[in-house]
Amino acid sequence: MRKALPSILSVISAILICFIAAGLTRDFGTAVDAFMAMWWGAFGDWPKFLETGASTTLLRPLGEAATKAAILTFTGLSVTVAFRVGLFNIGAQGQLVVGALAAAVVGAKVELPALLHLPLCLLAAAAAGALYALGPAILKLKRGVHEVISTIMLNWVAVSLVDNWLVTGPLRATTSGDNSASGTDQIHASAELPRLLGDLSRLNFGIVLALIAAVLTWVFLTRFTRGFEWKAIGLSQDAARASGIDVERGFIEAMLLSGAFAGLGGAVLILGTELKYPASLGAPWGFDGIAMSLIGQGHPLGVLAISTLFGGLRAGGTRMQLFGVHKSFPELIQGLALLLVAARMLWDKLIDRLSPRKPA
Amino acid sequence: MIELRHITKRFGGVPALEDVSLEVRPGERLALIGENGAGKSSLMNVLYGLYQPDAGEVCFDGQAVKVKTPAEALARGVGMVHQHFTLVPTLTVTENVVLGREPTSWGRLDRARAEKEVAATCTRFGFQLDVSAVVQELSVGSQQKVEIVKALHRGVKTLILDEPTAVLTPQEADELFAVTRHLSDEGLAVVLISHKLREVLSFSTRIAVMRRGKKVAETTPAETSPEQLAGLMVGTEVPSPRERGEGQGEGPPLATLEKLTAKGLHEISLSIREGEILGIAGVDGNGQRELAEVLTGLREWSGGTFTYSGNTLRSWNPRTAREQGVAHIPEDRLRRAIISDLSVEENVSLGRQTRAPFAKGPLIDFDKRRACTTALLEANDVRPRDPKIRAGGLSGGNQQKLVVGRELDAAPKLLVVVQPTRGLDIAAVAAVREQLRDQRTRGCAVLLVSLDLDEVMELSDRIVVLCGGRVSGEFGRAEFDERLIGRCMLGVGSAPHPDPLPASQGEGDLSA
Repeated sequence: MRKALPSILSVISAILICFIAAGLTRDFGTAVDAFMAMWWGAFGDWPKFLETGASTTLLRPLGEAATKAAILTFTGLSVTVAFRVGLFNIGAQGQLVVGALAAAVVGAKVELPALLHLPLCLLAAAAAGALYALGPAILKLKRGVHEVISTIMLNWVAVSLVDNWLVTGPLRATTSGDNSASGTDQIHASAELPRLLGDLSRLNFGIVLALIAAVLTWVFLTRFTRGFEWKAIGLSQDAARASGIDVERGFIEAMLLSGAFAGLGGAVLILGTELKYPASLGAPWGFDGIAMSLIGQGHPLGVLAISTLFGGLRAGGTRMQLFGVHKSFPELIQGLALLLVAARMLWDKLIDRLSPRKPA
Repeated sequence: MIELRHITKRFGGVPALEDVSLEVRPGERLALIGENGAGKSSLMNVLYGLYQPDAGEVCFDGQAVKVKTPAEALARGVGMVHQHFTLVPTLTVTENVVLGREPTSWGRLDRARAEKEVAATCTRFGFQLDVSAVVQELSVGSQQKVEIVKALHRGVKTLILDEPTAVLTPQEADELFAVTRHLSDEGLAVVLISHKLREVLSFSTRIAVMRRGKKVAETTPAETSPEQLAGLMVGTEVPSPRERGEGQGEGPPLATLEKLTAKGLHEISLSIREGEILGIAGVDGNGQRELAEVLTGLREWSGGTFTYSGNTLRSWNPRTAREQGVAHIPEDRLRRAIISDLSVEENVSLGRQTRAPFAKGPLIDFDKRRACTTALLEANDVRPRDPKIRAGGLSGGNQQKLVVGRELDAAPKLLVVVQPTRGLDIAAVAAVREQLRDQRTRGCAVLLVSLDLDEVMELSDRIVVLCGGRVSGEFGRAEFDERLIGRCMLGVGSAPHPDPLPASQGEGDLSA
């Protein structure tokens, strides 16, 4: 709990600072309205629900929040597992892009019963992301190329290749009767992530997958000897090697898993809400994963919690526009929170001072 | 004059210093001795402004002063050189020395002036240093001199050296003491934190002994003896080392190298037998480290053969080595043996993390790991006995006890030990040596690398001398002779070879 405190305080302070900023630039009445709108838009509009009794006022926002939370969780986990072995995977964005494309292509071009089709799409996305992350890992081991450089560069390779060529060129939608279509072909219904509440909300199976992934990662990292070996590698390669741990294998495994998680994030985006590879992915989900991992302090469940919060705030952020406040405040809060977490010495001192002194 | 008056300092309720008073007088060489954790470093950290005392005061020339930061200590003329250097490896000697108070002209570093000033400081205090050399290219001994010059350049009047010889070769240590003698002649006070009695007795003008956070005695070298000091430090009589005892005799060779060549090693041929301690003697950097790395699977070889347990090895890495019963107590425990940010119990499982009792299938066996660690801490007297704390929070001596305990707990067939007693206090040294002998008695093959020739001669059944990555001599127990071995270490003539070498030169390199 004590470890989570700096993150919690950082997020709260970030929200407060943004609130004050909004209040000063507009007026505080509007700021209160806008931030409340964001909150209701994130986690269900309870006042309206109590007033009207319409369940969609709760379920619709929750659905949007969960969709975004799922993607953030996956990219956050991606950065987290690589960081466990001491690698900084800045390439979650690129891995997410290739994963999303793989999901979109398999979802549209392959015809199978749903029971097989959906898993195949997820598998394809995970594999594409993993393979895309394998390159930097091999380059690091064989040639000593720093993974930060190679993964960053491969982001732009992925974006250029996929967004600027494949999706607008060879893979562009061919479906007749939809001339305005941008992006790739629609995926088949059998590849869609099932909606948990039917037409009431876009809430889909993606958040369940994210939850499972976070819990499994947590169990793996803390309960399995292999997870322990990853931690040892991340803290001291030399000592890990001298202890008989295969450091190179650890790097490869962690990068594969990292890429797979990013790819799955892309799959959740495509198979859950977009239903095709769109002209634009909407947000730099992969880069946001870095923030999720850092604010979540590299703990899989922390990443899940933080992703849920920011997924929600982003879903609700659009509602701020109703009050003339720009919808980018959730991103602003995220950036500030990250900054404050990075300055954690500040918190450590404060917490030390406030915590009850042990009897000397 | 500096006085520490009735200093008390606690960490989380545990007293590290209890009512300690100490004077530091100009022109003296004060040795502060005690076992690991006796409070020597803590006391000096109070003086240097790193710790704030819970009670008591620090007085400069009779005036009580609160020293809150090392910067304030420096301003009052107190400098400290730590065991771990604080130099920027890629900068030159001058740049390191002036760092933080650079002479500038127009906002730029005035290099010429800086070099002149630093060179002047070096000359004044008798340091021979190339002020424009890049620090990372200097030897450890020279880097330490840079640290000292850095303090002197800031005009310190009191210089604290925290276990300065732990990282030095005997020759470098002699040089260091010569230089510090010069400093005290110049009127500076030098405080030496140490637990090496021999150097304390030859170096200091006054000795303060600490034990468990208290000052237990103050004396001078003339009034005391190593036995008395050891007794004061430990609090009881130190058991004199048990008779060396014959090795269990000549077991079959367990590991044999034949004309093995690797980076740093040239056509090494030697064999290590079960039930013997094979000592490796040599001046630092002559292939000892590389030999240990080959045996433990950390270094590949390019030629020759390595036979272990009757099998000629083709591939050998730390994992296969450990699976086949090789244990390793490396020289640099913080780099290779201990991971500071892991807990003590996690560190205990390192090396056997995938095997019983630390694993249950693919899972960590938390209960057995805890039980195992608790037993190991007890058996090896590691303090505090808490399996959950960070290993980095243990003192150096306790970390080493942890490593030794862990490696021996695996009941190894081959034990590769490099500098096992470096930085340990008397009691711990005696314990480690005892354990190595016990391993031999048990039938383990022990390879002991040490720069301390006395240690090698005391423990080994056989000695192989390395020089320039080659075997330059081999001695059976009956042939042990400091002078002859020393000559092989220097690579002048192989043993036994009565060559009229000036005795002084040989001795100089041997006085470990």
